[in-house]
Amino acid sequence: EALLGRGTSAAAVAIGGTVATVATSSPGVAAVAAVPPGKGEARGDCAVSPSFGGNPGNGYVLRCAPCLRVSSPSSKITHSGDVRVGGAVVVEDQPDVSAVLSAYNQQGDPTLYEEYYSGLKHFIECSLDCHRAELSQLFYPLFVHMYLELVYNQHESEAKSFFERFHGDQECYYQDDLRVLSSLTKKEHMKGNETMLDFRTSKFVLRISRDSYQLLKRHLQEKQNNQIWNIVQEHLYIDIFDGMPRSKQQIDAMVGSLAGEAKREANKAKVFFGLLKEPEFDVPLDDEDEEGENEEGKPKKKKPKKDNVGSKSKKQDPNAPPQNRIPLPELKDSDKLDKVMNMKEAARRVRLGPECLPSICFYTFLNAYQGLTAVDITDDSSMIVGGFADSTVRVWSVTPKKLRSVKTAADLSLIDKESDDVLERIMDEKTASELKILYGHSGPVYGTSFSPDRNYLLSCSEDGTVRLWSLQTFTCLVGYKGHNYPVWDTQFSPYGYYFVSGGHDRVARLWATDHYQPLRIFAGHLADVTCTRFHPNSNYIATGSADRTIRLWDVLNGNCVRIFTGHKGPIHSLAFSPNGRFLATGATDGRVLLWDIGHGLMVGELKGHTDTIYALRFSRDGEILASGSMDNTVRLWDAVKAFEDLETDDFTTATGHINLPENSQDLLLGTYMTKSTPVVHLHFTRRNLLLAAGAYSSQ
Amino acid sequence: MEAAKMASPKSAPKDAQVMAQILKDMGITEYEPRVINQMLEFAYRYVTTILEDAKIYSSHAKKSSVDADDVRLAIQCRTDQSFTSPPPRDFLLDIARQKNQTPLPLIKPYSGPRLPPDRYCLTAPNYRLKSLQKKVSSTAGRITVPRLSVGAVSSRPSTPTLGTPSAQAVSVSAKVGAPVSLAGQRFTVQIPSSQPAGKSATPTTPTVQNVLINPSLIGPKNILITTNMVPPGAADPNPLKRKHEDDDDYDAL
Repeated sequence: EALLGRGTSAAAVAIGGTVATVATSSPGVAAVAAVPPGKGEARGDCAVSPSFGGNPGNGYVLRCAPCLRVSSPSSKITHSGDVRVGGAVVVEDQPDVSAVLSAYNQQGDPTLYEEYYSGLKHFIECSLDCHRAELSQLFYPLFVHMYLELVYNQHESEAKSFFERFHGDQECYYQDDLRVLSSLTKKEHMKGNETMLDFRTSKFVLRISRDSYQLLKRHLQEKQNNQIWNIVQEHLYIDIFDGMPRSKQQIDAMVGSLAGEAKREANKAKVFFGLLKEPEFDVPLDDEDEEGENEEGKPKKKKPKKDNVGSKSKKQDPNAPPQNRIPLPELKDSDKLDKVMNMKEAARRVRLGPECLPSICFYTFLNAYQGLTAVDITDDSSMIVGGFADSTVRVWSVTPKKLRSVKTAADLSLIDKESDDVLERIMDEKTASELKILYGHSGPVYGTSFSPDRNYLLSCSEDGTVRLWSLQTFTCLVGYKGHNYPVWDTQFSPYGYYFVSGGHDRVARLWATDHYQPLRIFAGHLADVTCTRFHPNSNYIATGSADRTIRLWDVLNGNCVRIFTGHKGPIHSLAFSPNGRFLATGATDGRVLLWDIGHGLMVGELKGHTDTIYALRFSRDGEILASGSMDNTVRLWDAVKAFEDLETDDFTTATGHINLPENSQDLLLGTYMTKSTPVVHLHFTRRNLLLAAGAYSSQ
Repeated sequence: MEAAKMASPKSAPKDAQVMAQILKDMGITEYEPRVINQMLEFAYRYVTTILEDAKIYSSHAKKSSVDADDVRLAIQCRTDQSFTSPPPRDFLLDIARQKNQTPLPLIKPYSGPRLPPDRYCLTAPNYRLKSLQKKVSSTAGRITVPRLSVGAVSSRPSTPTLGTPSAQAVSVSAKVGAPVSLAGQRFTVQIPSSQPAGKSATPTTPTVQNVLINPSLIGPKNILITTNMVPPGAADPNPLKRKHEDDDDYDAL
């Protein structure tokens, strides 16, 4: 008998891109999916149509068939006509997140699942070596989907024995997922776990060569293996490519995420990874530095260019976005002064390289009792902020100049506004102190970010809000509510005004300081968004997630333009190279992965750390990549060497496969140990001195 | 605070051992010892709440004893209330699509600090200055309404004197720097809401008039300072200054 999805009074179902809310009048009647006719392949010839108007006695209108299948919104919808079923169908009046959950329905006899799986296992193990690696990718998704199907259909004992028998065969990097799975033994357990629900309704992507695929298809379409073939078709998306099958090493580098790999077409959109042109303005002539004669204010001239994409300041860089692609705030006088300062500092910048490593200055937070959860340093390295688990945000001045707040309005009206040092006069000397504590959050502060003009500070917390603080009055200005769940990371745009936040609700949001609601919502991750970063040109946002993928989103229209898989644990740090072309990512697996944004490929893997990498930063000109980790070390890597000699031939671009050289040892320039202080933040000053921050932990 | 290994199973009660086993099964090897206590407390509290709710439902349905349906209903209601989970993916994709369709708003140049409208900010004063009401005292004629002009509460220490204690209406000097030491006494100061800063000593609005306080009568009285919401900017400098000066003295501010 066909099993139906059980529902409550309301269920939202996505159908072909639109959401239909199906409401029933009585709690006893299940909500069912409305399936538009005429769409998709008529696979199992099953569908359920809504019984509006509440006729509990009637049960449902459905077509009886061996299997009832209502596919997930991301795949084709099966549909059919109507068939009356006499008599009421037993329903449980239990809430169900969405009727689409009924995607998991009986594919066959539950007791035979072990047979199916071991049959497939035997086939794959007996296949040719060259195909075995690729076909082994099937094990994990099939195992999980079959297990979840048994659980959903309440065959608890079969599910348990299935799990016991086969969970040891899976790859080691899936062990965390399997542990979570082992705790889901009943259907009720599945309902609260959004990640598992997303896993069920999304298709696991596998990249297999055509030869291997033919082999598999031939085998599965034999009669006795039809059930597995059904499951494969239902829950897996096989991205076929023409060419040599991949080796185990190549596959291991790219797999690991909760959704398999990325489809090749997901990484084909054009990305404007170039930098925006700096505005041209007159630099005041100054005797002490030579750049005075440089009238056009091109700070980029100071940095050696790594990419030769014709980025003279006169010609438009073809890879750079148009200046007005997204609206950016205008340059104020104070910003211009800041840029001049920046250029002066840049002239004195140390050129780093394998022979000239940066000096590292470590700021240790003492007596934090493992409560330090976020750190940020301003671009000019004048202030450092710490977010703590006791919900406070503390700002320190790094330079001898103390932090002052602005005078009250009455006092301000008394000062002479025309004097030259008006900016000093507006500051209230009585409030000068090295430390300012900001109270306001009601939960641990997980992310902090200074604005580029040092007027504002953002902090995001477990209480679900992002707070904007003024660094002139040291008070809270706005609380942005949108995520109703812990917000894990936030960052200001490099030009100010915009900021991005990502949290437990699996989305990242783009805000502007003067809008109380987000401007963009970036939805697509299967698990929490743990890390959010802006691209240097402010047109793209990278998000790292607990589903082990990194996605690159376009700010203009919210589309996901790149998906990078390969990490084996949640991503905790992201860093864009200063030229905008590359992205470095660090995760709990201790590896730093390097990605070419333009081509959408993994170009490097830096092994060495033994614990989660929480901090990644490129030096000011992109020659050195510094990584800081929970294993109490800071490591420096040669970024120039890592990014040269990229293979970008047609095959690579077409298939996305690259042979990564094992050159981590060559690229490692230095390892610096701290005294039991995990490194939480890294920052290169304008002169390429490396600052690091962490809290001393005494064990 | 150190992360401890599992609690010694020899001395722990059975429930605690179960909790330790759960942590071990889920792969958690390092945890503070108080985590077990927290888990026990949570389990006890949750089960108690559910069973109590179930009892209520069963008695409402006039059943003789609590059965599985009652418990199921109790769990369901509590789940919807306490343990919410983030929205499902299709819902998020839909609202994302809606949000992402609107173009990014243009930025007005030179518009000062870019903040949302005031009602969405936390920048408004969180106190209000209440407008003055007529108050008749026991000795009529001697004391009129103690209307003070803002910032003009000047007194000598320990005497709540404002100006000369005479029967006439006395206008209070608006000495801005005058400290008010009303130690130990509480005063009702009804401050007009529309008094801008820096005005002259004699308040011109009819609501704010003169102060007449007879010190001998004031003595035992308790005067409370009441505050109202003022429209932002209306009496801003004064309350701020008032707060600044009088913070130590007034405890109701």
